[in-house]
Amino acid sequence: MLKKTTVNQLSDLASALMEKGTLVAPVREDAGFQFREITDAKRVDLNFHNTVISPKSVFFPQTEDFVRYRTGRPMQEAEPVEPQGKPLILFGVRPCDVKSFEIMDIHFSGTGDVDPYWQARREAAAIIGYAFDLGAPAEPEEFYQTLGIGAADPEGSDIFMVRRGDDLLLKSITGKGEALLTGMGGLAGASADDEKFFDDTVAAGRDFKTRFTCVDAEVITKKLEDLFHNTDFWEKASNACLSCGVCTFACPTCYCFDICDETLFQQGTRRRVWDACMFTDFTLEASGHNPRTKVYQRLRQKINHKYSYHVRKYGVISCVGCGRCTRYCPVNIDIFSIVEEAMKA
Amino acid sequence: MAVSFQQIEEKLKTEARRLLESGEVSLVLAWGKGYDEKHPMPYVAKCPSDADGIVFNEYCTHNPARYLVRYPRGTKIAVAVKAADSRAVVQLIQEDKVKRRDLVILGIPVYGIKNPKTGELIDGKTTCGLYNPVLYDVLIGEEVHGQPVSSPYAVLAEYEAMDRDARFAFWKKELDRCIRCYACRKACPMCYCDPCFIDQRKPRWGEKSPEPAGNLMYHLTRFHHLAGRCIDCGECSRACPVDIPLYLFHKKVAKDCEEMFGQAAGMSIEDKPVLVNFRMEDSDKILE
Ligand code: SF4
Ligand code: SF4
Ligand code: SF4
Ligand code: SF4
Repeated sequence: MLKKTTVNQLSDLASALMEKGTLVAPVREDAGFQFREITDAKRVDLNFHNTVISPKSVFFPQTEDFVRYRTGRPMQEAEPVEPQGKPLILFGVRPCDVKSFEIMDIHFSGTGDVDPYWQARREAAAIIGYAFDLGAPAEPEEFYQTLGIGAADPEGSDIFMVRRGDDLLLKSITGKGEALLTGMGGLAGASADDEKFFDDTVAAGRDFKTRFTCVDAEVITKKLEDLFHNTDFWEKASNACLSCGVCTFACPTCYCFDICDETLFQQGTRRRVWDACMFTDFTLEASGHNPRTKVYQRLRQKINHKYSYHVRKYGVISCVGCGRCTRYCPVNIDIFSIVEEAMKA
Repeated sequence: MAVSFQQIEEKLKTEARRLLESGEVSLVLAWGKGYDEKHPMPYVAKCPSDADGIVFNEYCTHNPARYLVRYPRGTKIAVAVKAADSRAVVQLIQEDKVKRRDLVILGIPVYGIKNPKTGELIDGKTTCGLYNPVLYDVLIGEEVHGQPVSSPYAVLAEYEAMDRDARFAFWKKELDRCIRCYACRKACPMCYCDPCFIDQRKPRWGEKSPEPAGNLMYHLTRFHHLAGRCIDCGECSRACPVDIPLYLFHKKVAKDCEEMFGQAAGMSIEDKPVLVNFRMEDSDKILE
C-alpha cells in the first residue's frame, strides 16, 4: 500500500503516529540531530542527513536498569526492572541504520541467548525507514554501498518513506507496516506516477555511489587474519588514535556494555552501561593484568571484530558503512581507509 | 601570512627528513594526510621516507604535543607545534613529563587555522589566540607580527555577566548531554593520568552512566585538575561529538589563575605550575 502526505504536514503525521505508540524520531538539537522520544509533534524534523548517535540507543539505551534495591536490605526486596514492550514507532531511520538492527539481532536474540530488554522493544517496534536524498552527493565519510546497502533500500523497515518534492510517500513493506498505515487517518492515496517514482528511487538507490572499493567479506577476513601480527601496520593505523569512546558510542553495530552497581543515598541500581573496546580499562582484569595495554591492540580489536571475527562467527561484516565513526572521530581516523589499506597489504 | 601553508609543509618535510636522517630524533610528531583534504590527522614519521607523508594546511587543528607522553621517557622526539601546542610542550616540561633535552621543537607561526566541522576560524574564542610559538628550536616559516591579537578571555564576557544560578543552569544544560565518551580528556595534552580519577572503582568518584550527577562530577573535577595547566588549545571542545563548549570553563579558570597568580600556563619553562608552587606573595582569593 502506498500513501502520501506532504512535508508541511509532518507534524500531523507525527501526531497520528503518537496515537499508535511511543514515537521516536529525529529532532534538531544544539549538537546536531538525535533520535528522541517525541512529546511535541512539531519537533519531528526530517531535514537531517543522519543523527549523531545511531538509533541503536532506542533498543539498547546507553543506560539500562536491571534491578533496583536498597543497600543493606535483604535480596528478596530487590525489584527487577521488567523489559518494556510498549508499542513503539521508530521514525525516519536511514537504510544503513535499518540494516544495523538485523546485525544487532544476531547478538541480542539470534544466537539463542535472548536479551529480553532488546527483544521486547524490538518486537514492539514498527520501523519507518527513510531514503537518503539521492539528489545530493553522499557525505565523504559514508560507504554503505560498499557493503551492499542501497541509499533507498526498504528491506528491514515496516514502512518506507521516500520524499518527492514536497510530498512524502509512505509504503508498507511488512504486514505490521500495512496495519499501521491502514489505521492512520489524514493520508492521501498515491497515484500510479507516485508508485513509479517510489520504485525508481529504490532502484536508483542501489546505484547511488558512496566511496567504493569492493569489500568481499571472505577476502577481508583472511587479509586481517594475515595482518594480525603485523605490528607496523597496526601502529601506523593507530598512531593518531586517542583511545576514546566516540567511534563505538556513535556506531550502530557496537554493542559492548559493562554491568555496574551504582548507588546514591542507599538507593542502588544494577544496570548496564555502554562500554567500548577502545577504552584502556575495557580489558583490565581483576588481577590487574591487562591484555591490551597498547592503543594499536585496541584499534586492531575494533577493526578485526567488525571485519574479521564477526564474519568468521556469523557470516556477515558488522559494519553498515554509516560513516559515523569517521565523521565524529576527533582525529579523523577513517575505518574505510584502514580496511582499504588492509586489502592492499 | 607572508609564508603560505604550502611553504610551511615543505619546510616541515625538509626538517623532519633532516632530523630523522641524522638520527637526532627517532620520531617526528606532525600532521599527515587524512581521508580528504579537510580532515588531516596527527601523524608520526619514523624514518626519512615517512617525512613525505607530512601535511600542513588550514585544517591542522590537532595538538601534536598530546602524543609526547605516549613514548618511553628518553625517546628523542621532534614535535611540530602551533602557538597553543607549544604551550602544551612547555607545560609538560614544567611537569617533568618530558625533558627539554629530548625534544626538538619545530615552531610554526600561523593564523587562519579553521575548524573543519564549523568552518570557524580558530582564534582567541576557542584557543589562546596567539600566533607565535612560545618556544622552539627550529622556526618553520616566519614569526607573525602586526596581526590583531584577540584576547583569549573576551569570549567570557557574556558568561561572566550571568549570576550564579544562571551559570549553574547553563552548565547543567550543557553537561546533561555529555555521553561520557571521554574524547575531551583523551584529546587533551595535559590529561595524562593513568588511571583517570573517573575510571577508578575504589573509591568511585562518579558513576559510569551518563547521568547529571556523574557528568557534573567528571567535568567539575576535570576542570579543576586543569586549573593553571590548561594551555587553551581548544582540542577538548573540538573533540566533543556533542559540541559542549568546554573551553568556556577552562578559560574562566585560566583567567582566574592568571589574575590570582600572575602567570598563564605553559608560557615559560622556568615557571612552576601555579597550584604546585607556593609563594608568600600568592593571592589568598582562592580560600575565600
Ligand atoms: S578511532 Fe577516533 S573515535 Fe575511535 S577511539 Fe580512536 S580517536 Fe577515538
Ligand atoms: S564501524 Fe563506523 S561506518 Fe561501520 S557501522 Fe559503525 S559507525 Fe558506521
Ligand atoms: S583542557 Fe582543553 S583547551 Fe585545555 S589543554 Fe586540555 S584540551 Fe587544550
Ligand atoms: S567529549 Fe563531550 S560527550 Fe565526550 S565525555 Fe567529553 S564532554 Fe562528554
